Amino acid sequence: MMAVLLSALAFGLAVFALTRKRLLWGVIGVGVHSLVLAALYLVLAAPDVALTEAAIGFGLVTFVYLLALRRTGKLVVAASPLYPLLYAEGERVAGLEWEILERFARWCHRDLELIWVPRAEILRLVRSGEAHVGAGGFLPNPHDGVVYTQGLVPTRLVRVRLGGGPIGAVVGEPGASWLGSDGKLFEDADELARALSRGEVGEAVTDLLRWREWETRDLFSGAEATLLPGEHRFAFALNPEDEELRESFAEFLGELERRGELSELIRRHLG
Amino acid sequence: MKLLLALGILGLVGILAVGIAGLWPRADFPDPDPVARGWRVTNAVAAIVLGLRLWDTLLEVLVYVVAMVGVRFLLVGLHWKGELPPVSETPLLRRSADLLLGPILVFALYVAASGHLGPGGGFPAGAILGSALLLLALAKGMERVSAELYEPRLESLEYLAVVLLVFLAALVLILGLRTPAAFVTANLLIALEVAIGAWAVLHRFSSARGEV
Repeated sequence: MMAVLLSALAFGLAVFALTRKRLLWGVIGVGVHSLVLAALYLVLAAPDVALTEAAIGFGLVTFVYLLALRRTGKLVVAASPLYPLLYAEGERVAGLEWEILERFARWCHRDLELIWVPRAEILRLVRSGEAHVGAGGFLPNPHDGVVYTQGLVPTRLVRVRLGGGPIGAVVGEPGASWLGSDGKLFEDADELARALSRGEVGEAVTDLLRWREWETRDLFSGAEATLLPGEHRFAFALNPEDEELRESFAEFLGELERRGELSELIRRHLG
Repeated sequence: MKLLLALGILGLVGILAVGIAGLWPRADFPDPDPVARGWRVTNAVAAIVLGLRLWDTLLEVLVYVVAMVGVRFLLVGLHWKGELPPVSETPLLRRSADLLLGPILVFALYVAASGHLGPGGGFPAGAILGSALLLLALAKGMERVSAELYEPRLESLEYLAVVLLVFLAALVLILGLRTPAAFVTANLLIALEVAIGAWAVLHRFSSARGEV
């Protein structure tokens, strides 16, 4: 009877270990699974086998997996929210970029960790290597000191005019190059939007997606938007020294594109 | 695909159920106790592994050594040049490693030395020793531990253990030596060999990361 119970438990633990998304839980599941197997051998009157199973299956193998997990480790993403690309939905995070990052993390066996920071902070974190990836509607700018993956979603720059006054833009974005001598720079897009609604700046240079977000949130009425020439693409920012990450990310995106899943994802999230 | 998966799982459950229900005919085993008594020990498994089937065990140990040597030579050209991501230190892990290391070592020694009296023996003892080393590596970092354990000397110790084991086996097989002391020595040698082998192979794999 005991043997039947332990077998069922071992089977359940195996299923548990196989279905976990987080690798650490899988490792713990496999470890407890071999512990239960050891107990099963003991019940079946094979204490020698039980001892070996506990020593190798629970001890050695678990430690090897833990060491490997430690070595591959985390994938830290620094991001600022932007609605269809990367945003918090209650407790969980969703969006096109999030889905791509989740798949990439699973693909290279790393645990995903997200920190929300302002746009200017993303650049600092990625450059210093504290974060591996910068995301959340990131528009490439050649003088950033970081490298970019291939562009994912095309967009245009928009000049939003609300009243008189200086032009504002987000620091580090390509829109900043449209500022005149009296232009103001802001830490991230939310601050820019607040400044615009308070009248601190009369105009703002931003991109189409953010403009759409501002419109849906009804931040200011009577604003008039004009498209600026030139096409830009949202991309992920990566640390320039982490060549391994850049190569594997490029390979991953290439594979996603070849299988047609990238365009499918973009269609689902952006319509 | 899903159908195949479901069928596979059902098949596995079926095999498990048949096995548990005892439907397979089981061979009649001879009484193990006379075997153990014949080799003057109390654990029948030890009498079989280190007495009746000593040739099997010897070849098993040789397979292990060959695997280790193979890893050593195949990974020579694959040493990872870049910086490995550091294994971060956590106080909890370090403290528990400090607390657990002593008891684990003593237990491994006990398991090896009492293999002829009860369940245990060289192989599980070696695995326990190996996991103690890995626990240390997990808590203090692979590089620091491997700097303290001088590897070439460890490896020659392992080869020495194998040579001594072969000598001992010759005594048992040719001269018909049947004493518990031979069992204890053989278990200790096997434990040493398995532990060093596990450590050397895992250390090599973890420092050759990325290209294997």
